[in-house]
Amino acid sequence: MISRKEIKSLINMSPKFDDMVNSLQSAPKLPKAMVKETQKVIAIARKFNREVVRPSVLGLDLKMHENPNYLPWEFVEKANEWGFYTMWIPKMFGGQGYNQPSMAYFAEEIASECLAMANLIGVHYLGMASLSATFNTRMINKIAREVAAGEKNQTPCLISLAITEPGAGTDVEEVDLLDKGNITCHAEKVPGGYKVNGTKVFISNGHLSAWHIVIAYSDLKKPSENTVTFAVKTGAQGFSFGRKENKMGQKGCPASELIFKDCFIPDENVCLTPREMENFKRGNKASAMQMIHYVVSVTRAGVGAFGAGAARGAYEKALKFASETKVNGKLLINHEWAQCMLAEMYKNIALARLSYVETNYANGIYGFYKNLQSKPAYYYNKVVPSKWFDRFSSMMDKPFMTNLFRKRQMDGQTDEEINRTSGWGSLSKFAATDMGIKNCRMALDLMGQAGLRHDRGVEKIYRDAKLLQIYEGTNQLNRLNLFNCLIAKDHPQAVVFDE
Amino acid sequence: MIAGNDKELKLLDKTSSEFAKKELAPFREENDKYPFGPFFETALKKAYEIEFFHATLPEALGGIGQGMAALSLILFNICREDASMGDAFIAFPVFNNPSEIENLAAAEKKADIYVLSGKVEYVVLSGIAAHALIPGKIAGQSGFSFFLVSLPDSGIEKSPPVLSLGLHACSAVDLKLENAKGVLVGKEGKGADYFEQMADRMHVAAGAMSAGIMKGSFSEAFEYTKGRQQGGREIINWSEVRMILADMAVAVANAEMMISRACQAVDTDEKGWQACSRAAAITIADTACQVTADGIQLLGGVGYMKDFGQEKRYRDAKHIQALLGIAPLKKIRFIESMIG
Ligand SMILES: Cc1cc2nc3c(=O)[nH]c(=O)nc-3n(C[C@H](O)[C@H](O)[C@H](O)COP(=O)(O)OP(=O)(O)OC[C@H]3O[C@@H](n4cnc5c(N)ncnc54)[C@H](O)[C@@H]3O)c2cc1C
Repeated sequence: MISRKEIKSLINMSPKFDDMVNSLQSAPKLPKAMVKETQKVIAIARKFNREVVRPSVLGLDLKMHENPNYLPWEFVEKANEWGFYTMWIPKMFGGQGYNQPSMAYFAEEIASECLAMANLIGVHYLGMASLSATFNTRMINKIAREVAAGEKNQTPCLISLAITEPGAGTDVEEVDLLDKGNITCHAEKVPGGYKVNGTKVFISNGHLSAWHIVIAYSDLKKPSENTVTFAVKTGAQGFSFGRKENKMGQKGCPASELIFKDCFIPDENVCLTPREMENFKRGNKASAMQMIHYVVSVTRAGVGAFGAGAARGAYEKALKFASETKVNGKLLINHEWAQCMLAEMYKNIALARLSYVETNYANGIYGFYKNLQSKPAYYYNKVVPSKWFDRFSSMMDKPFMTNLFRKRQMDGQTDEEINRTSGWGSLSKFAATDMGIKNCRMALDLMGQAGLRHDRGVEKIYRDAKLLQIYEGTNQLNRLNLFNCLIAKDHPQAVVFDE
Repeated sequence: MIAGNDKELKLLDKTSSEFAKKELAPFREENDKYPFGPFFETALKKAYEIEFFHATLPEALGGIGQGMAALSLILFNICREDASMGDAFIAFPVFNNPSEIENLAAAEKKADIYVLSGKVEYVVLSGIAAHALIPGKIAGQSGFSFFLVSLPDSGIEKSPPVLSLGLHACSAVDLKLENAKGVLVGKEGKGADYFEQMADRMHVAAGAMSAGIMKGSFSEAFEYTKGRQQGGREIINWSEVRMILADMAVAVANAEMMISRACQAVDTDEKGWQACSRAAAITIADTACQVTADGIQLLGGVGYMKDFGQEKRYRDAKHIQALLGIAPLKKIRFIESMIG
């Protein structure tokens, strides 16, 4: 009926089968034990919600209303105690080595109770992911092991990521915009390292983090070809914190200003230099964009999970209200229109969840999660005790390890794989976060006066969820990235950011 | 737009927008803080002096006998800058339709007064007001009645001010009544009739507040996008930004038109004015939520911060949508009034 050749040609027609379904291709290759492990992660999150988050979520938000400068150390200490800051760090770097896509399910759980607290945990992995994307195994090993030590001695060691500048938010998310942007954070090459001057703004967890992964530029005239990624430790000379933002929501998670004044970063703390990037297959500029794609493919799925969590939190509050409140003499849950509204909200959660899950299937076969998700690597990590990994830890400090990873992960990734993972990451980010807002609106509609009250919790989700449409690239930038990655590739006449 | 060519309304438009810019805008952030500060007394005094409170009162009662158009215009201009003040203006800032809810205070007639017991949640301005109008149910009767209670009454316990989504400067408290004295307003069991009559008129006022917030959000976004640069140009020059601005501008223009039309219908006692007032308010309150969300979005990260007015407008718009009852039920009621 149909020849092999025909099949091949037809499934490569737009929409290409490979762009349509990631799960069907990825799932059969996954180690089976990931299912049980993911269940365990979700159960841990639910327990943490019950014991830690739920009892303190409204109290913390109220406290932050009263004193926006308050730093929620007690929560960070609890999360550290529960092992959340090492849970998804691979064993070879001193972590617990849980499968990384399970973090997204975890994020949805915590976010369904409190987005700020989910961010206090999640942003640490944004920092970790950006550090990992440099494949500087020595630095990854050094910082990740400090995180693990911080867990043992009960001194949280968090990592933040600093890219955004006062004059450049959208511009730093996209190299085509970077060179036209108002970039000011300068990393000047000096003997033995870099001298950094400039300011980063809105850095989540800034004041709470021990390490900061910073993106600066050695030539401000052509930043896209001169990206320097370095790590700076809190307390370093020339580096200080500025203001904490007074935000509408996600109040429990600080957004900090980071100030660099002639801050010397020794070479040993530089994770990736423009010169090193020249050696990548794609050259300097395209590799800078590849690195952004590589990271945001997973972190935007993470924000998608936050969106699903927000949608769920709002739904759960509305459902509880509807099932215990009588309106016009009848429980709200028994009004047909309310049932349809609740069904709509349920659908929004399911679709938001599917979007991040599907994206992570793509990351598992084409991107960030590929390495550790192959069956041999996964089971090796799972079965071999941490101590064994620790004995060989010094291997990670060898430059050949860095080169090996960079060759395999960066140069080994095809353009199609970059587009697919990043396009899906953006899809999940804006789809799920829009669903989050939609459900908040519906919950508030359903609850009327009760929903307006802080003590009911749903108005907080409405305030918290708006941020999801802004950070990790605004939803507009993400729509354009989807267009670029999944649509424009088939239309050579299409150009983006050049109208 | 709301003022049209009416000379008096034009004058009112001018005074109320100047008042809002001068007396409200500079203190918006301060007045929005929690724990709540003192209620904006200076602004209220000024508003009283320029007779905003009297706009719709009949001349015989010492008012200036203006209609709904005047009240809406004042509310619109005030809410462009700070909707909390607008809420203080509405004669009846209620978020529940008492007919819809289950647990009203219980009223009992004793000699020529009534005593009330029970809980009344979220009574706006009761932290500072001298009196409150509350719904109560007289035992054995099916409907509800309105009672005026004196807030210093020893039978009334007030909660600390309730923190809410928006309209912080116009805070509410929960009341716990135990044998509190109440004076019956109107007739026994007629509460629902009074409420619906009030709601018919007040919907348009609430719509004017939402429209004002929308306009404020659009203006701030418009100005910001003309100054902020990304990708080497003012962001207003990216066509997607223009598209969002256009959606906002169209929504604002439509809202103003709807309010003008609804006010005209109310003020001329046109047949079906009630439907006009309600339909306008239901639509505008909903659109305002999207417009104010876009208003934050166009400012990016700073839109989420207290330093700008956008985040407050986003909260206030959603808050106002709950005025006069649960939003979907307001729609159900609308169609029910047609079904009869
Ligand atoms: C609370 C908070 C926490 C954050 N945490 C971090 C963090 O940990 N680390 C970090 O590095 N950053 C962080 N950010 C920064 C965040 O990623 C940026 O705010 C975001 O990328 C938007 O940038 P911007 O705020 O400069 O907005 P702008 O880029 O100025 O955008 C303003 C508006 O213009 C639109 N726009 C801009 N350019 C275009 C274009 N070319 N085409 C169409 N529309 C356009 C945008 O969509 C938006 O609507 C955080 C931000 C906030 C608010």
